[in-house]
Amino acid sequence: MRFADVYRLANANLWRTKLRTALTTLGVIIGIGALVSMVSFGVGIQKNVTDEITENELFTALQVTPADLDLEGIMSGDVSAMAERREDAASLDDDAVERMRDLPGVTLAFPEDRFPATLRVGERETRASVQVLPAGIGLHSPFDELSAGRFFETDVERSVILSPRVLREVGFRLDAPDRASGTRESGAGSDRRTVSADSLLGREVKLATSVIDGRRLALAAVEGELPVRQVETTLTIVGIRERPTGFGTASFASDVIVPSGTAAEIPRLDFTSAWDLLRPDGLDRGYVRVHVRAQSMQDVYSVRDEIRSMGFSVLALADQLEAFRRQFLILDTMLGAVGTIALFVASLGIVNTMVTSILERTREIGIMKAVGGSEGDIKRIFFVEAGTIGLVGGALGLALGWVVTRVANVVMNYHLRPEGLAAVDLFHMPAWLLLGALSFSVLVSLLAGVYPAARAARVEPVEALRHD
Amino acid sequence: MPAILETRGLSKTYRKGSVLIPVLRDVSLEVCQGEFLAIVGRSGSGKSTLLNLVGGLDTPTGGSVYVRGVDIASQGKAGLARHRRGTVGFVFQSFNLIPSRTALENVSLALAFGEHPASDRARRAEEVLRSVGLGHRLGHRPGEMSGGEAQRVAVARALANAPDVLLADEPTGNLDSATSGEIAELLRGLNDDRGLTVLMVTHEEPLAAHVAHRIVKLHDGRLAPQERIAGRSDPKDRREAS
Ligand SMILES: Nc1ncnc2c1ncn2[C@@H]1O[C@H](COP(=O)(O)OP(=O)(O)O)[C@@H](O)[C@H]1O
Ligand SMILES: [Mg+2]
Repeated sequence: MRFADVYRLANANLWRTKLRTALTTLGVIIGIGALVSMVSFGVGIQKNVTDEITENELFTALQVTPADLDLEGIMSGDVSAMAERREDAASLDDDAVERMRDLPGVTLAFPEDRFPATLRVGERETRASVQVLPAGIGLHSPFDELSAGRFFETDVERSVILSPRVLREVGFRLDAPDRASGTRESGAGSDRRTVSADSLLGREVKLATSVIDGRRLALAAVEGELPVRQVETTLTIVGIRERPTGFGTASFASDVIVPSGTAAEIPRLDFTSAWDLLRPDGLDRGYVRVHVRAQSMQDVYSVRDEIRSMGFSVLALADQLEAFRRQFLILDTMLGAVGTIALFVASLGIVNTMVTSILERTREIGIMKAVGGSEGDIKRIFFVEAGTIGLVGGALGLALGWVVTRVANVVMNYHLRPEGLAAVDLFHMPAWLLLGALSFSVLVSLLAGVYPAARAARVEPVEALRHD
Repeated sequence: MPAILETRGLSKTYRKGSVLIPVLRDVSLEVCQGEFLAIVGRSGSGKSTLLNLVGGLDTPTGGSVYVRGVDIASQGKAGLARHRRGTVGFVFQSFNLIPSRTALENVSLALAFGEHPASDRARRAEEVLRSVGLGHRLGHRPGEMSGGEAQRVAVARALANAPDVLLADEPTGNLDSATSGEIAELLRGLNDDRGLTVLMVTHEEPLAAHVAHRIVKLHDGRLAPQERIAGRSDPKDRREAS
């Protein structure tokens, strides 16, 4: 018997019991719908994180720390690594940064450097943490996109880049897309001026830092407090940049950014300089962390090994990638398992429907055998019936899953999205998921058809045709 | 005349618990090409069982069925399916049509299992239905037809794949006497006009005598000694006479 004939017979049988077929198919629709929406959630989350990492070029980023703090050991859960200090550790100083910069495959190496300061604009002021960055980072994500203006062109220009948030604190509300304040309109906004971001460019601001007055240090013991004095530095706003909020951007979440050369001239009181004062040699300015960017993914590992051989700890996010993928695989598998259970329940429905149908159609099966149908023919008819339920149920299940994820995406974004964050697509349905789910639906349905088909093929024609 | 169909020592025994019920015992029979053979016997004598074994619907517990000298069981289940598909055509007492399908569809179903080219199936189904006088009932379902018409559809279905032997199990058993006569005439016509070999089972001896060339009697599963019950003249004699 040709497949077209088998298909036509199977189809006619399904249509004859429309309601039963529809209900059985509904079970499969729900099962597949559950499966794809669950897995597409896991895949969606993974995609969001991976995209974020790729967009922010974090796969080419390395973080270098002094070897006396074994960051990798701590990250991998080895607590003893924290206590174990290496005495022979190389110091992470300007010289070391220079040597890293000269390594092949390195595009950028700069220390992580922040200091507290007071930002003054006109009459108003606010406390802020100032981040020091080289002009070269402006070519890289997340610094290649600014809301207004430009990034630093040289390391020594007397410029500053501010975030809309810190500007709000000193009385400027930007009319650009600024969700956080847009939702909370209140009387307090009356003394804030709504201005365009561009109009703030070129404006001068003052950065006030505290320094220890060395001349009065001797009096400290007598007066009972440290002799601190404030120094103001005048800088020009050249750019406005939203504080990054994505995954892995914590190191770059800052409201005030100053170029590295300029920052070197700003007198300040920070831990390093305080140590400098107390230490006899006074010159060892070791950094806590140095950021290194490799040219490409391929360079990451050679650069990492080079820096390690210099005696530092290196953390490359690329190293975490494998573990990261494995964790998502586990998440996807667990989500998929829940959906699979739903599908298996549906497959019991298929078995039930088919067995019922065989009991009703025993005579018909006997007739088909009497006119020449082989066991194989009968088996195939029932297989195709089960497979059709799986295919149609699977296809409609994909549609259901799509609708569910679209609705869930809107609802979850509405309730869970932190203020000021753009809506993200929490679900992702790649082609492999759609095709995989559809094949899985057909496969499970065919498996559900194995027993009924075998049973139908075994029907004894003499028994089936015995007149009643 | 060569035997187209032959049974040798055919027996069938059912088992009910530890009790063996012999239904057919050592039946040896030959059916010649073009012959109309009737098997008569009382209800329960094993006629249907014999026909089912000959048609490959059932398997014997002893002996064999041969078609042109070849054991039909020698090719396994697939061989039996082929036998039912191409060598024999079945007509049952209770018609055994699929109620949800029209006359044309019932005949087409048999063609779908056979070797007839798919593109020609509808034409062929219509052709056989017309040949049994049902050209005007093609689109009717069994429920919309009289018993006689339904049995004609069953005959058309049995003929669809051009079998060597037509097997009819009490084909008039569910029909009134007038309609019975029509069906009997139809079968006789097929034998007379096309030389179709027919093996018919009935408990009505007069009917058998009217249509068959030869009649054998089953009694408690045994073939009665070849007593010759008056039938029509031999196909050979008839052909010589004409
Ligand atoms: N599956 C079976 N199990 C036990 N006995 C059976 C079975 N099928 C048929 N028989 C018995 O075999 C005998 C012959 O049946 P059957 O061939 O139908 O007779 P007929 O067609 O001559 O009326 C009957 O007595 C019947 O009860
Ligand atoms: Mg009978």
